[in-house]
Amino acid sequence: MIIRNREKIHSPDTIKQHFESLGYICSDAIATSVYLACHLQKPILVEGPPGVGKTELAKKTSELLAAPLIRMQCYEGLDEAKALYEWKYGKQLLYTQLLKDQLGDVMRGAKGLDESVSRLHQFGDIFYSDEFLEPRPLLEALKSEDGAILLIDEIDKADQEFEAFLLELLSDFQISIPELGTVKAKSKPLVFLTSNNTRELGDALKRRCLHLYIPFPTKEIEQKIITAQVPELNENLKLQLVEFVSELREMALKKVPAVSETIDWARALLLLNVESLDQEWVKNTLNLLLKFQDDIEAVEPELHELLKAALKGDKSA
Amino acid sequence: MQKVLGDFIHALRQAGLPISSAETLDALNAAQLVGIDNAHLLKESLATTLAKCLEHRVIYDQVFELYFNHQGNFRFAEKEDVLSVTKAGEVERGATESTETEGTTSDLFEPMESPLAQQLMSDDTSVLQMMIAEAAGAAGAQDISFSTQISMMAFKVMQALGDSQLQLELAAMEERDEQRALVQLLRQRRSSLQQAVRDYVEQQHLLFNQNVSQQLRQSNLQRVNLTSIDHRNYKLMGELVRKAAKQLASMHSRRRRVTKRGLLDVRRTIAANAAYDGFLFHTKWKSTRVERSKVMVLCDVSGSVSEVARFLMLFLYSLQDVLPRVRSFVFSSRMAEVTELFEKQEMDIALAEILSKWANMRTDYGKALEDFNEMALSDIDQRTTVIMLGDARNNNEDGNVSIWEEVYRRSQRVIWLNPEGEFSWNRADSIMEKYAPYCSHVETCNSLRDLNRILGSVLKHSN
Repeated sequence: MIIRNREKIHSPDTIKQHFESLGYICSDAIATSVYLACHLQKPILVEGPPGVGKTELAKKTSELLAAPLIRMQCYEGLDEAKALYEWKYGKQLLYTQLLKDQLGDVMRGAKGLDESVSRLHQFGDIFYSDEFLEPRPLLEALKSEDGAILLIDEIDKADQEFEAFLLELLSDFQISIPELGTVKAKSKPLVFLTSNNTRELGDALKRRCLHLYIPFPTKEIEQKIITAQVPELNENLKLQLVEFVSELREMALKKVPAVSETIDWARALLLLNVESLDQEWVKNTLNLLLKFQDDIEAVEPELHELLKAALKGDKSA
Repeated sequence: MQKVLGDFIHALRQAGLPISSAETLDALNAAQLVGIDNAHLLKESLATTLAKCLEHRVIYDQVFELYFNHQGNFRFAEKEDVLSVTKAGEVERGATESTETEGTTSDLFEPMESPLAQQLMSDDTSVLQMMIAEAAGAAGAQDISFSTQISMMAFKVMQALGDSQLQLELAAMEERDEQRALVQLLRQRRSSLQQAVRDYVEQQHLLFNQNVSQQLRQSNLQRVNLTSIDHRNYKLMGELVRKAAKQLASMHSRRRRVTKRGLLDVRRTIAANAAYDGFLFHTKWKSTRVERSKVMVLCDVSGSVSEVARFLMLFLYSLQDVLPRVRSFVFSSRMAEVTELFEKQEMDIALAEILSKWANMRTDYGKALEDFNEMALSDIDQRTTVIMLGDARNNNEDGNVSIWEEVYRRSQRVIWLNPEGEFSWNRADSIMEKYAPYCSHVETCNSLRDLNRILGSVLKHSN
């Protein structure tokens, strides 16, 4: 792809810094894999628990490189017609109507069937042509002149057939359309695939991608993230909050709070003008962090202990 | 660099990572791009190209540490700081390696004859390190498969380095008094060299062949008779079964569509025929997914069959991704359904409970089939595969074959797995011949390989 802002990606460290200035705090591993993906022109498969910023990574990369982001959300039953291209049937029908009207003029004066047929062949056939092609995200990404960021979100939700269909795109950056032939990328897009691991992805797909696993952030990074996202929050509360959330992640819950939920909670606490975590406030806002009633019920009796640990951890830090 | 990376990837493969040659090329490209100066960066870069899931990442980290941190850390200084040779006065060695030593030793003593001794006297350990690597490579240190071979290999490497010549020379020198200090020093250096060689060989073994003996054991277990597997191998067997099940599952998890004529897909038909001005030349039909078949498994858990039953059930339940509707029954004299037990409990606990509760009773196929008749016969339909595991040894009782005939009539397929070899069917109290006409397949099944093959065919038919 044509990379604008080339100076922003000349080493993993600079990528990291630029991401930070865009408000995306990342680890070395993330910066390194983005660096490699840009330079080796290979797709990245991003895995990790929900809410650690997998999709956000693609968005921020598009911002960093000033390239358009083309997003495709996967779901069960997704097929080529929705992912790749569709013919504009309505227009094609109208075209045949037009053709019929024109046919008389074309054929006028033709002698015999042979001549008619040869005239018909001379007549340009645009029935299956770019004009009647409705590009869907994948084709759009290939057609974009200056390269684009293609985000294939939650690939694990799509069927296995679709995964196999993607292989051609991922290794050669081309797709075959039976009526037209092979469409090659004008300029290779940078591809991000994300997966939540609801099913195991095929080896063939993994082989074609760089692999990046984003775990829950460390406490230091999470504090930085909150500083970047909710700068108004006071320092003390931030420490307690991060400590508390990381305590929660240690527990056996149905769904542990992700980074996005920590941010939501931080915003809520800011809105409520909370100075320091206390049991009452936490109890009232716990539903922002935990999305299952079972989890809330499991945490509530432990709340006192958890808070104590969080406050202690904050002091020692 | 290519050689180093190639060896590293070889080590990773030995540790169980499936790395293709395409990925090897990617790793080389990545390494070229980031350079090898920054170890942390190199580690992350190689990881993105080589380790493709979390489990592999953990292994990758271990191998990376082992491989890159042990390269070239052989130093005399670390080993000699305790020994500091002071006997002869001239040879003063402190805790740290100093160039002064080289000056004194080589100046004061006549040059040594054997090449190894010369190397030992010069303090350039990197040359020695290279010599060790070369000698070990020539002696085949990468290929030893058992840890018991390490000492032998270390000895071979020492020989290749010219140890015997050194020993002779040392023995000759020892007789002269004035050389004592030098001999002492050389002996110490030789022993630290010996240690280094041993370390190196051990590391090579860990990197390249630690898993070979394990693999050997695993491939043997595949073939071994299931009834004679030791208790201590259960855990390993369990892992093997799960692995095999995963392979089968991924092979068959593709859902196939079958065209069902009858429902016209209007949208697709119009689209396909737009070119013909709306005349419907090509009709498109709606396709539906075929429902997965149900599996019922009946296990005889008496006596020797119970051992095979354990693995059959383990296998079936590891296949839950592709065979979600398995109902299982166990019997010896009476039959009981244990499907729920497996849903609630861990596999191992459930198995133990079943075996303690139902096994070790007098086998009675007749009564068991009667129970089955009441419990589940009416649930068998055209999409059901029934798997029976048993030796058909009925203690000379009536076998209730009519029920089995009914099972055969109602179901899609009936597979009878007999852990005994074909020659012992119908001998003594076995009534295999009575049931056999009402089975789609009768097979001997007593190793993991058999299980794998048979269940593979079940899956093929079920899709």
